[in-house]
Amino acid sequence: MGSMFRGEEVALVQLFLPTAAAYTCVSQLGELGLVEFRDLNASVSAFQRRFVADVRRCEELEKTFTFLQEEVRRAGLALPVPEGRLPAPPPRDLLRIQEETDRLAQELRDVRGNQQALQIQLHQLRLHLAVLGQGQGPPLATAQMDGPSERTPLLLSPGGPHKDLRVNFVAGAVERHKAAALERLLWRACRGFLIASFRETEQQLVDPVTGEPATWMAFLISYWGEQIGQKIRKITDCFHCHIFPFLEQEQARRAALQQLQQQSQELQEVLGETERFLSQVLGRVQQLLPPRQVQVRKMKAVYLALNQCSVSTTHKCLIAEVWCATRDLPALQEALRDSSSEEGVSAVAHRIPCRDMPPTLIRTNRFTASFQGIVDAYGVGRYQEVNPAPYTIITFPFLFAVMFGDVGHGLLMFLFALAMVLAEDRPAVKTAQNEIWRTFFGGRYLLLLMGLFSVYTGFIYNECFSRATTIFPSGWSVAAMANQSGWSDAFLAQHAVLTLDPSVNGVFLGPYPFGIDPVWSLAANHLSFLNSFKMKMSVILGVTHMTFGVVLGVFNHLHFGQRHRLLLETLPELTFLLGLFGYLVFLVVYKWLSVSAAGAASAPSILIHFINMFLFSRSPTNQPLFPGQEVVQSTLVVLALAMVPVLLLGTPLHLLRRQRRRRRRRHHSRRDPAGRQEEDEAGLLDSPEVSENGWGSDEEKAGCPEDEKEAKLVPSEVFMHQAIHTIEFCLGCISNTASYLRLWALSLAHAQLSEVLWAMVMRLGLGMGREVGVAAVALVPIFAAFAVMTVAILLVMEGLSAFLHALRLHWVEFQNKFYSGTGYKLSPFAFALEDE
Amino acid sequence: TRVRGSPGASASASRVLLRIAPACLQHGPASHPGIPRRAMTAHSFALPVIIFTTFWGLIGIAGPWFVPKGPNRGVIITMLVATAVCCYLFWLIAILAQLNPLFGPQLKNETIWYVRFLWE
Repeated sequence: MGSMFRGEEVALVQLFLPTAAAYTCVSQLGELGLVEFRDLNASVSAFQRRFVADVRRCEELEKTFTFLQEEVRRAGLALPVPEGRLPAPPPRDLLRIQEETDRLAQELRDVRGNQQALQIQLHQLRLHLAVLGQGQGPPLATAQMDGPSERTPLLLSPGGPHKDLRVNFVAGAVERHKAAALERLLWRACRGFLIASFRETEQQLVDPVTGEPATWMAFLISYWGEQIGQKIRKITDCFHCHIFPFLEQEQARRAALQQLQQQSQELQEVLGETERFLSQVLGRVQQLLPPRQVQVRKMKAVYLALNQCSVSTTHKCLIAEVWCATRDLPALQEALRDSSSEEGVSAVAHRIPCRDMPPTLIRTNRFTASFQGIVDAYGVGRYQEVNPAPYTIITFPFLFAVMFGDVGHGLLMFLFALAMVLAEDRPAVKTAQNEIWRTFFGGRYLLLLMGLFSVYTGFIYNECFSRATTIFPSGWSVAAMANQSGWSDAFLAQHAVLTLDPSVNGVFLGPYPFGIDPVWSLAANHLSFLNSFKMKMSVILGVTHMTFGVVLGVFNHLHFGQRHRLLLETLPELTFLLGLFGYLVFLVVYKWLSVSAAGAASAPSILIHFINMFLFSRSPTNQPLFPGQEVVQSTLVVLALAMVPVLLLGTPLHLLRRQRRRRRRRHHSRRDPAGRQEEDEAGLLDSPEVSENGWGSDEEKAGCPEDEKEAKLVPSEVFMHQAIHTIEFCLGCISNTASYLRLWALSLAHAQLSEVLWAMVMRLGLGMGREVGVAAVALVPIFAAFAVMTVAILLVMEGLSAFLHALRLHWVEFQNKFYSGTGYKLSPFAFALEDE
Repeated sequence: TRVRGSPGASASASRVLLRIAPACLQHGPASHPGIPRRAMTAHSFALPVIIFTTFWGLIGIAGPWFVPKGPNRGVIITMLVATAVCCYLFWLIAILAQLNPLFGPQLKNETIWYVRFLWE
């Protein structure tokens, strides 16, 4: 069998890595992704481990990388994906990388700082320009002439007659939303002593800090009096206004304006240069950053892995314990040899026996990965336990299809999955981020098989969008019934429904060769027939599936050397299951074959027979199916009940007996050491099971030296465990068989939903209108509604529902017959995963 | 919705349609050699069983011998056998359930009326 039948053999390997070559060896192991490191320093905290300083340096570098990445992102550029093979750099290169990166980061910071400063300066200049540019106009003129007007202050200023009053100006700019408040405050504080005029700047100026355009109001305040001036300045300071010197002479002002414009232009040129340099630096960052990021991440991973190794007492080498698949051992040794020979030393790897349960490794390709995934979602198998996944590849889509059976819906699902499978190599599809899409895409092969099987079961159920097809002519002859029963037109007109009788000659001409006869889709009592058919089908499929599960347990018992369980567990289990429910299946099939329409009135009821079987009673009105049925049934029930104590007590008693025998042998060998050595060794190698769940394989094969501890069986535990297992199995047989009836329930629900959708939606459209055009026009929206509801309700909702129930049937009813699922996966130390 | 008129009306309607129906439907199936007849053939039980048993037997028993050697050989053989078993069992259940029907379909009188002539 392929490697999916059970997990691969995994060995515990001890590596001796000389200090000089430890880094390169681990780096090479990371590239290959073969081994999983065991943490030998679990008791040591993260801060006390050997390579913590190196890890910290890597983390600081990563901080710088993050800063650079932010800068690149802020500038709107994208980082290219690193290409090619980028191995982890040797430790001595770390210093160089650190210097390089720090230099680049510093440069970037400087340039950014310069750019900011220049932008602030430019902003100031522009504000100044705006203020000056709007400083012309009437307010000045009026201020000059306004000395002796009504605005004369009430208080006489000590500074002499009004004509000599000096008018001063404050010019500045304030943000738009603060302008009204400023004006109000100025008026209240310095009433009468000033004239303020506010005017909005014509263009919007980009704020250098936030980068958003903002409108500013330029104001010009003319005032007289020193104290007023101070008050005004304090107020404007409060409001964070920009104040600029205002020259009274027009000429001077114009000169200043020109100068400012010139300055502004020069500044813009310098700013342009700075930005060009900045983009150069960013270009270098773009080139340098991605490969360095990958390399430093690998380096950090290597140091973290090295931290898990223990240091040997002579401080000359590191000891690592890794889990490695036995098949990969040669590759592991070769990798160690190659990478350590460069340093001139040699790293050694050798296998050591292990007492713990190794991790489970099952190699999958992209097809089998999704099926292994749904098995692992329940639980990863114990080490070298039989893997249910290869059978799940077919039985899961099959059980789904039994619940979903419809040719049309199955075909739609199949085509959707086929589209995904054919497009799976396209990069756009692979890098899509939408989570729901990724879920569907990950299960594309699952959907493909589910759709394919649904088409098959759809043909058997004879349903295509709930319509039956007559691939072969029907096996029921209406004409024969009509002719023989004298169904004239008048008779038909009087009776709304009439039943065909299979006992009439020529009415039933034979079973439909492939699937359900299409006449049933026309019948009013089609559910009576289909329910009976589907319930019996569910029980047959269920008993078959569960028997298969019990049989798979045989392989587990053989592999782990627990042959006693074959006789003491598998045989009683099979007898119980097949004796009761296998017999039920037999009754069903026997009745199908033997009871014909002639004896329909007195047909025996399987249900009554089955109930009477357990109650050891009989119903006089219920005919036996075959002679001697009562004897057979009683025998089977007694046999099945007799199997229960075998199941309950067999294995524990056997284990206890074996333990007692071994203790006696050891006791004898201690009294007589010379003679009994061989028997003793035989006993040592044959260490018994501690409990049901104690996995046996590695104890047997690795030959654990100490069997004093392992052989300690606690009787109460063993009995308790076996009692639980027995109850679980026996009661489970009944409840699990009934649980398979969900196959009937869901297929009925799907068929009914499908039929209702057709009858309520499409039939309206198809049966509409005698005129040529009406039906055609009305059919377009009706078909649209039909299609949307088919996809939403029947494909998505019913599909998810059937998926869930098929999954449950596998996880509970099938797997609890043989699978324990209490292992853990081998997660190798690999860089490929960390790149994702 | 089809409105049922008086019983007499439908009877007369059927008589009318009977007159304009093509001749083969009135006289029986084998009257016109050129028109293909949709007769109710008797279905045998043995033939489908032999055909499908052979078909799924080929896939499930003979197929595994032809799977090329490779890492996936075991998985492909498992898939073939499981498919054959599942599909054969499902088909077998369907045909066995219809082998000896204990009751027949209950049809509406309109259905009887047109199927009687359409499927003959």
